[in-house]
Amino acid sequence: MPNFSRRAVLLQIGASGLAAVTPGAALAQNRYAALDTQPWSYLDGSEARFLASMADVLIPEDDFPSASQAGVVDFIDLQLAGPYGQGAGLFLEGPFADGTPEQGWQTAHTPASLIRNGIARLEDGGTRLVDLDANDRSAFVERLSKGEGFDLGDVPVQTLFDEIWALVKEGYFSDPIYGGNKDYAGWEMIGFPGAHAYYTDHVDKNAPFPAPPKGIAHVPGTGRSADTARPLRAQTAREEG
Amino acid sequence: MVRELPKTDVVIVGAGWTGLAAAKELADAGQRCVVIERGDWRHDASNFGAPEEHDELKYARRKEHMIDTQTKTLSFRNSSDQTALPMRRLGSFLPGKGLGGAGIHWNGQLWRPLPSDLKMRSHYADRYGEAILDGLNVQDWGVTYDELEPHLDFFDRVCGTAGVAGNLNGETKEGGNPFEGPRSADYPNPPMKASPPLQLFQKTAQEMGYHPFQMPSANVTKAYENAYGAQLHPCTYCGFCERFGCGYYAKADPIICIYDVVKDHENFELRMNSQVLRVEKSADGKTATGVTYLDERGQEVFQPADTVCLNAYALWNVHLMLVSGLGKPYDPETGEGTVGRNYAYQTLAAAGVFFDKEVWSNPFMGAGALGMTIDDFNGDNFDHTDLGFVGGGYISANQTNGRPINYHPTPPDTPSWGPEWKKAVRENYLHHVGIVCHGSSVAVPGNYLDLDPTYKDAYGQPLLRMTFDFPENDRRMSAYVLSKAEEIARNMDNVRAVSTVNRAAEGESYSVVPYQTTHNTGGAVIGTDPTTSVVNRYGQMWDHHNVFVFGACLFPQNLGYNPTGPLMGLAYWTLDHMKNDYLQNPRPLMDA
Repeated sequence: MPNFSRRAVLLQIGASGLAAVTPGAALAQNRYAALDTQPWSYLDGSEARFLASMADVLIPEDDFPSASQAGVVDFIDLQLAGPYGQGAGLFLEGPFADGTPEQGWQTAHTPASLIRNGIARLEDGGTRLVDLDANDRSAFVERLSKGEGFDLGDVPVQTLFDEIWALVKEGYFSDPIYGGNKDYAGWEMIGFPGAHAYYTDHVDKNAPFPAPPKGIAHVPGTGRSADTARPLRAQTAREEG
Repeated sequence: MVRELPKTDVVIVGAGWTGLAAAKELADAGQRCVVIERGDWRHDASNFGAPEEHDELKYARRKEHMIDTQTKTLSFRNSSDQTALPMRRLGSFLPGKGLGGAGIHWNGQLWRPLPSDLKMRSHYADRYGEAILDGLNVQDWGVTYDELEPHLDFFDRVCGTAGVAGNLNGETKEGGNPFEGPRSADYPNPPMKASPPLQLFQKTAQEMGYHPFQMPSANVTKAYENAYGAQLHPCTYCGFCERFGCGYYAKADPIICIYDVVKDHENFELRMNSQVLRVEKSADGKTATGVTYLDERGQEVFQPADTVCLNAYALWNVHLMLVSGLGKPYDPETGEGTVGRNYAYQTLAAAGVFFDKEVWSNPFMGAGALGMTIDDFNGDNFDHTDLGFVGGGYISANQTNGRPINYHPTPPDTPSWGPEWKKAVRENYLHHVGIVCHGSSVAVPGNYLDLDPTYKDAYGQPLLRMTFDFPENDRRMSAYVLSKAEEIARNMDNVRAVSTVNRAAEGESYSVVPYQTTHNTGGAVIGTDPTTSVVNRYGQMWDHHNVFVFGACLFPQNLGYNPTGPLMGLAYWTLDHMKNDYLQNPRPLMDA
């Protein structure tokens, strides 16, 4: 019996989404539901709830899935557990100083610790993003995007917002082998046909190119990518709820 | 204990475009060449195949083909009154690593300098008077277009460049760039196909009296055997060019165009995963004796050589000179010294064109050098009287990619996230093209490279320190060229909206965060005066005659063009003088 439930997380974040109205129907479409028995690799439940709530403000549900519905939180979880989250490609030798915006990343945090500490401090006062209604969630994200009215110690607010927003977009639009872009949701939305690319005969034609997307690990005949993120999830599974 | 190896004729630092070209030419000339490269061995055939290579997250976002800042980075500040801090994450520019260097992830936009570009100071002084250059370190290159032309032409035949000549032996040709210098031969291959937005740009530019032409492209358009006998194949317009290697053998790169034809040469040896730490000098300091490097096991090794070629990325060549004590470091206080002087970049702006539903851009069908270009506002192709700046840039409707994580064009006034953003992304993705203004960059006394006093790299060496902001000259230039691009955009058919971005806008400082371009230039510039150049007009160091320097670090100021064509022209020019003069009689080729 898992000591944790993605399904439960989803029900809680439903305040702004379809899940609140028709939980059964929405859950059937949701990545969380399919992965319900899978433990997180890096996040804990409250971090997942925060990120799902914020991600769904940034990319809400309309005719196409919201960020969390497309597996973005699962993507972020794996990214933070992996080399990127742990600081690969990031020069972290000191001394550290507050730079100008033009000087870029100057915190000693890795992306994973930046996000963990950032969320902890944002929710330190007891109010959780997941408990706010849709309007208040949007207002919160609006303020966060401008860096207004937050003191998060050594977590630069702008860097935190930029990092989460970048991860949300990556999770929505990257190849499904990384756990997001579930069933090519992001690619279907914009009309990107994927990784199998050969356009010599079409590039000069003024016409749509309605090929269904195919990812790197596309399974022929299914409209889906193989779930190549599963081994990484198993490898990094945490006993935590 | 440093292990000393047997002496070789030539040691070459870096296995990118210039390093492998040097190895090929010098090995053929009977010189035993050792090439030392910090990164991994890799090959188009075994490492760059689709669909695995078409992984935007891995290569464009996580930058797996690029230099890792944990092994090599620099510190940065906008001006010398700030404290430089490390560039902790890659952003504005993306130096490469491994066999082929940054040459495997270039776009293949293959240009030549204008004849007037190469004598920029004397040209502007003659036409407008010296005052137009006040405050600028603009210089002549010391080598002319006519001298470089055979070498530029040769590199076109190494790459199988696709395009339409605009000036063939002095005769203006229809459909080409009428402003270019005379070509001694036509392009080896016909131009790329034009996508619908490029066709619209061409029509509008023509109607406005400009001279559009298809951008010269090293994305090959036909099966082609290059000047060395290597085989290239036609481009598939897959849209994974910049940031990626090309598994189709369609984008000319140093591996398939040069490495494959030199790898078995008896005079060629390649040492991978080896980090050059410094160039060693003779007791009198007048010549180099070889290089010291860390081999693949982390052991320090000294490789003696008669001749040393510096073929690292532009920035790292300058770093290597500074940590080795080659040449005289530039001092911005006194203006004396030359190493690190005249660092320049590229000044970029763009207009975004949003079409109605009648125009399908299908941006995922693209190629690195798929562009329709005008050169009417580049270099001194237009009258600069009373404009308040020198230089210019090409304006080009480019369709390089529609990679879905990064490519989200939205019309002006769209929120940057949320429901309206999502809707706008969906509605515009298939109906947009960007028109880039690829502007020149002048050198000024306050922009330079030196060593950082605080931060060190993984090898314990000081980081290179970059001090740079956009000069006023270039801000004015960029605003002017962008206004022309915007005018074209608004005149195009089926346009609903136009957006603009100008990296060098008034009031904004250069930032190392957003990607702009991997065109860092200068710092070890070419010339005929040892007080303002590091190397003479043959690419030979004034202070150490057996050290030859290659790459964009030679540019006295940056052109309005992409650097690979010009820097390879310079490389073959230098190699010509090494092979046919210097190596028979090693000495300074010019009097200081």
